[in-house]
Amino acid sequence: MSFRGHVVRRRVSVGSKSEHEALVLVTDGGDEYKLRREGGNPFRDPELDVLEGERIECEGIVRDGQLIMSRWSVLD
Amino acid sequence: MAVDKVIVTNRSVLQRKYSTSLQRIDDAVRNLIAADKKRGVTTLLVAIDSASDMRAVKGAPVTKPKDERKVKAAIDALCAAYTPDYLMILGATDVVPMQTLRNPAGGDGDKNVPSDLPYACAAPYSNRPSAFLGPTRVVGRLPDLVGGDNPAYLVGLLGTAARYRTRPSDEYQHYFGLSAQVWQASTALSLSNVFGDSSAMHTTPPGGPKWSDAQLAFRAHFINCHGAPSAPEYYGQPPGKEEYPVAHEAKRLKRKVSNGTVIAAECCYGAQLYNPKDSGGQAGICSTYLADGAYGFFGSTTIAYGPSEGNGQADLICQFFLDAVLAGASLGRAALEARQRFVALYTHLDPTDLKTLAQFYLLGDPSIHPVASVPHALSRTKVFKSAFKQAKTTPGARAFRRERLARTGTNLQQSLGAATPIRARSPAYVTRVLNAAAKDSRITELQRQSYAVSFPRAASSGGMKQFAATRRGRSIYMLVGEKVTSDKVKRVVVLAATVQDGVIVHMRRVHSR
Repeated sequence: MSFRGHVVRRRVSVGSKSEHEALVLVTDGGDEYKLRREGGNPFRDPELDVLEGERIECEGIVRDGQLIMSRWSVLD
Repeated sequence: MAVDKVIVTNRSVLQRKYSTSLQRIDDAVRNLIAADKKRGVTTLLVAIDSASDMRAVKGAPVTKPKDERKVKAAIDALCAAYTPDYLMILGATDVVPMQTLRNPAGGDGDKNVPSDLPYACAAPYSNRPSAFLGPTRVVGRLPDLVGGDNPAYLVGLLGTAARYRTRPSDEYQHYFGLSAQVWQASTALSLSNVFGDSSAMHTTPPGGPKWSDAQLAFRAHFINCHGAPSAPEYYGQPPGKEEYPVAHEAKRLKRKVSNGTVIAAECCYGAQLYNPKDSGGQAGICSTYLADGAYGFFGSTTIAYGPSEGNGQADLICQFFLDAVLAGASLGRAALEARQRFVALYTHLDPTDLKTLAQFYLLGDPSIHPVASVPHALSRTKVFKSAFKQAKTTPGARAFRRERLARTGTNLQQSLGAATPIRARSPAYVTRVLNAAAKDSRITELQRQSYAVSFPRAASSGGMKQFAATRRGRSIYMLVGEKVTSDKVKRVVVLAATVQDGVIVHMRRVHSR
């Protein structure tokens, strides 16, 4: 599936054992997904840090509120 | 025919998944039933999609595999007709679905909580977790792989269950204990409670994920790390840092797990069953442990909870499970006793307690007894052996245990209260106190949540009448806020005030881990 939206940093899983800071995609439709790279660390992935604040287009699968990206590009 | 154990599955789904290879699974199930018979356990395989199987129990066949209401009704009908001592669900969630419960801790990222808890309860179908506070059934799930088409995985697990053997308790006294470094104090307390010491605990960092054969060879594993959905790893964390190094990996478990290993994992999503295609073909840690010869895995389907210090929620229910296994319980009874002991700690369950009860479940054949219980002296006498024709446990003794567990579950169902979200604002006086506490703790408010605590009618009868008045108007108001620690890491802090008749009777401050 393809998605478009803005990448923001948020605290997720609030109050749980695994609460943490994460990059979240806020899609143009208003949906929010925690971002993760296929094969990447789901909690902290330096490769994705550069996406913070950017508007991106990406492809991936959604599992339990996480968008596991197989491809992404920054939009101008 | 008296049935001790029911294996329940959906045959048409298995047929679709495995096509002509289904015969191999059929053969493996037959072998398990034969092995059970040799152990004195009469086992019956039931297909919930079979009209004849369901007619035999006056139930309706499941025609749509994902129809959770029908699946729950079918399993309830089986349990009513056969009253089995063990209920084994055969297949992953795409064969026999979990029941989708509303997430009582809404806002934590989980839309709902997939759960096997309702199958352990006589209460009818509901998507409210608070409907299932009194589990009475001994239940476990022997999964195949979600989306799988090769029967080898499930055939392997069935073979492990058929060939299982009970071992002396000293073979489970040494453990593999693994903790995210940030939680080591809590994990050490858990290990001390279960095993009597925590000196062998490993933490990530600095350890992991390359654990040695010798380290993983111990038959009791207790793991308290981070976990994520559709991820074949668990993760550690140093105190005060947003770093999450890999602590444990499924791919490193192959041929390292000792036959008979039993695992309790507190991790978020620690026992989630997912399609391996979602993670590059690698099945999850729980699935891999079982494939490598583990007998049972107790873990969570979703985001789990624990306090910042000491033990709570996930810590406790995992300890209780291992406690029971080490004392000689079957895996299924250990899971049931863990659920019952956990909820029995409270007068009412708050949202995170309720989620803990719903999310933890057993993967494995529930009738397996990994650890030998210590027999009483009388059982070694000739008279006893002659009377019971065996020196160990008897079906009669098991019946007493089931009666006790049913009584405990029934009492819990009739007496426990639970918190349910409400839209009401906190009273002005409570708001002032929470605001003052937030200011004192230097917390920046993020959101507020309100809950009403309700009890079943029977909870106010007999000796409980005296508490009826004080329970009326019991509610919980939570202020969820954020605090920056001395090492500049943001931490969420929850201030919770329990109120009765407008008066705050209890306050607590819970820090995120």
